[in-house]
Amino acid sequence: MQEAELHDLSDDPDYVASQQQGSGGSENQKCTRKSNGPTEPNGSEVVYSKDNVAIHPTQYASERISGRLQLIKRDLSLFMTWIPYKQSASYGVGQGSRVKLPEKDRNLYTIRAVPLTDVRSIRRHTPTLGWQYIIMVLTSGLAFPPLYFYNGGVREFLATLKQHVFLVRSADDANVFLVNDLQDPLQRSLSSLELPRAVPVANVASSSSSLASVHSDDNSNQRSNADYHDSSFSPTESVGRHRQKVRDPARDLSIQVLEKFSLVTKFARETTSHLLRESQIFDNIGGYEKQQQVHSSPVKNQVGGDPVSQELQDKNQIISDPLEKIACRNGKLCEAAATLVGTFELIDSKEAEQQSLVWGKPRLPPLGHEEWATFLDEEGRIVDSKALRKRIFYGGVEHGLRKEVWKFLLGYNEFHSTYAEREFLETMKRSEYETIKHQWQSISPAQARRFAKFKERKSLIEKDVVRTDRSIPFYDGDENPNVGLLRDILLTFSFYNFDLGYCQGMSDLLSPILFVMEDESEAFWCFVSLMERLGPNFNRDQNGMHSQLLALSKLVEFLDSPLHCYLRQADCLNFFFCFRWILIQFKREFVYEKTMRLWEVLWTHYLSEHFHLYMCVAILKKHRKKIIEERMDFDTLLKFINELSCHITLEATLKDAEALCIIAGENKAACIPPGTPPSLPVEGGLLE
Amino acid sequence: MATTGINYIPAKLVLLGEMGTGKSSLVLRFVKGQFFDYQESTIGAAFFTQTLAVNETTAKFEIWDTAGQERYHSLAPMYYRGAAAAIVVYDISNTDSFTRAKKWVEELRQHGNPNMVIALAGNKADLVDNKQVEAEVAQTYAQDNGLLFLETSAKTAQGVNELFLEIARRLPKANPTQPSRMIVVDRSSERLVSTSYYCC
Ligand SMILES: Nc1nc2c(ncn2[C@@H]2O[C@H](COP(=O)(O)OP(=O)(O)O)[C@@H](O)[C@H]2O)c(=O)[nH]1
Ligand SMILES: [Mg+2]
Repeated sequence: MQEAELHDLSDDPDYVASQQQGSGGSENQKCTRKSNGPTEPNGSEVVYSKDNVAIHPTQYASERISGRLQLIKRDLSLFMTWIPYKQSASYGVGQGSRVKLPEKDRNLYTIRAVPLTDVRSIRRHTPTLGWQYIIMVLTSGLAFPPLYFYNGGVREFLATLKQHVFLVRSADDANVFLVNDLQDPLQRSLSSLELPRAVPVANVASSSSSLASVHSDDNSNQRSNADYHDSSFSPTESVGRHRQKVRDPARDLSIQVLEKFSLVTKFARETTSHLLRESQIFDNIGGYEKQQQVHSSPVKNQVGGDPVSQELQDKNQIISDPLEKIACRNGKLCEAAATLVGTFELIDSKEAEQQSLVWGKPRLPPLGHEEWATFLDEEGRIVDSKALRKRIFYGGVEHGLRKEVWKFLLGYNEFHSTYAEREFLETMKRSEYETIKHQWQSISPAQARRFAKFKERKSLIEKDVVRTDRSIPFYDGDENPNVGLLRDILLTFSFYNFDLGYCQGMSDLLSPILFVMEDESEAFWCFVSLMERLGPNFNRDQNGMHSQLLALSKLVEFLDSPLHCYLRQADCLNFFFCFRWILIQFKREFVYEKTMRLWEVLWTHYLSEHFHLYMCVAILKKHRKKIIEERMDFDTLLKFINELSCHITLEATLKDAEALCIIAGENKAACIPPGTPPSLPVEGGLLE
Repeated sequence: MATTGINYIPAKLVLLGEMGTGKSSLVLRFVKGQFFDYQESTIGAAFFTQTLAVNETTAKFEIWDTAGQERYHSLAPMYYRGAAAAIVVYDISNTDSFTRAKKWVEELRQHGNPNMVIALAGNKADLVDNKQVEAEVAQTYAQDNGLLFLETSAKTAQGVNELFLEIARRLPKANPTQPSRMIVVDRSSERLVSTSYYCC
């Protein structure tokens, strides 16, 4: 077959190149820890060197960039490099099917001295058929393209690594190795939590050698987020920049990174399946390994003239982000990635369940008074509402500020209104509230007897308010006046919107609002605003709920295909087990404070109006393994979901949901049809 | 799948009735032996299991507790389809809830499993001073309609275990109720009718 020919290494230019540069061959991994190789004058020591480690920039096996993978020890730190071979003159000769790769592409993928402190985990793939490869995930969430070990030796690579860095096999997946070369166990565990302070200064400083690559872009973003960094984080400027580039989790870049992350994994999978197919063909004609041995050459440890630092000195060659380029090069692939489910299954399936921290931005502290003031001009207008919404999306609001801020988030106050306008509105609304309230207050007991609908409604409300959040001090105890306020507001609302009336669940939605507003009229109007968005949840025909459950099922299909398949097979695709989550915005799933935090995040509509649906996906995804392994049927699943109440970590889930939302990208529109609550049925874009 | 021991008879049971009549409280009393004055309302539905030994066999109740409000009525069939038993609950201190209970019975007769064991529970029996529905009236209605009838109190536990025991006794034994696998199939056909978005 044509394809098989591609693997005849004797006329493989990559192979030839590797021969010319000396070494290549399966014996190479012998050079481990106490390397016989020379110690460079500047203190670098090559502790591992492996040739014919390749990257596939596309899914075609023919498009391969081969290079040398090395581990280099410098002072106390370990770095990994992967340098592609220089193109040989014979490249492409007589290879009609081969696509010529420009030199710059080779440089693009070059991995220049990544400190192992920046590597979060390594996933190895050692299939019985096809080539072994590893995927490295950095602490930033970024992942390098898969590195294919054409001569095998992933095991040896890991063994060598283990001698220098702290490598733990993930309890959850034997093929995932968590990397951490910190010596102090406390720091180790802090670092695994990804707290910036866990970076030991000494270690960082040691990387400020010629080995550290210099990146100068993206500084502006880092500045704006600098407030949230631990100051111990950037010991020296020059290093600090580089470190932030990779580690600084608060930078905007992570959004792109996530896209690329998913892209890479999808890409890896496609490539793998391609390679697998090709290697199967190959297997039939004699086996790849045997051929390899013929061409293996003796070990060579000598690193002539330190190619690493040489490369690094040539600044023109330095390209900041290999993945970025993949995204550009394969614009089409990008689209394809976005339309395929399971996009990021390869990496995330097991890992994300354990360490969702790889994803999303770290959460910020809640917005406080001082910072809030910076969003307002002298007359009280919010100058940049988008920035505000973004800020709140990532951190929420301090409780003391909620009363003020929620009114904006709910749309009761407009962002561009002035203090004076808001004050005026408040007065107007207060009297309007009294007017509506008076409508039902003026119904005499005698009249009520002939007003069944009113009586019924009143009794529904009364039944529910007495059992709403009574364990919260604000509502506890007999004859608590706040319970009476809940009743009055709900009854007034059922007159304000008589057609919608009262429905179970509404008291849950009102309770935190009254708690925050501590004012009957303001709580009422905020509730009205919320109902403008969530009213369809309570429609008699359940349309609002159905459309959201449908959107959820589409999102799961897109974002978590294994779960989707399972649910389809288990006949659970109606997603009714998520009914409560959606109906009352997770009110029953978190403790009071966390519910308020979640709500203000949802109400920003920052990444999506339907962020709550991504929350659903994130939680389901987290428990997918259990759901599938235990083969939960509808009943069991509903029970399981209900019992997750108060066992969901909000911040981690928000991060996951954020990542999922970004991954869904353009496909949101396809999954979530217009008009799905909380979108307003008519013209959208209300918050822009 | 429910793990069914040799003598376990799985029995899907659904609780229906006006909101606030004490459905959730009855389940909680039966399953956990607890009672809360401020038992929060049920959103969507809740699912519980509890086993109960009756003579040689043991019934394994798979209990669906539903949201009572009329507004959520359209979801109810999803839960009572395939149920072997139903408890229709009213509040003895509230005539309206008894009226509503009778409507539920009618609906179950029309659309439920024909062999369904239906029990009528007059709950909050402890509220004797506010009693609006006399036991005799409910008893007569139950007899006329072939229902099991008991007055219960989730608060004092009066009649609660008896209620479930009576139901367990009446479950067809020679012909055990369908295992839940079958129930799922049943439900699916219902869902396919009521919604149209199952593309695959
Ligand atoms: N006095 C009394 N109150 C009860 C009894 N059962 C339930 N309740 C109360 O009635 C209210 C509604 O109960 P709940 O179980 O939530 O009713 P559901 O809406 O039918 O599920 C709660 O405040 C319960 O505490 C009972 O047997 N006696
Ligand atoms: Mg209930």
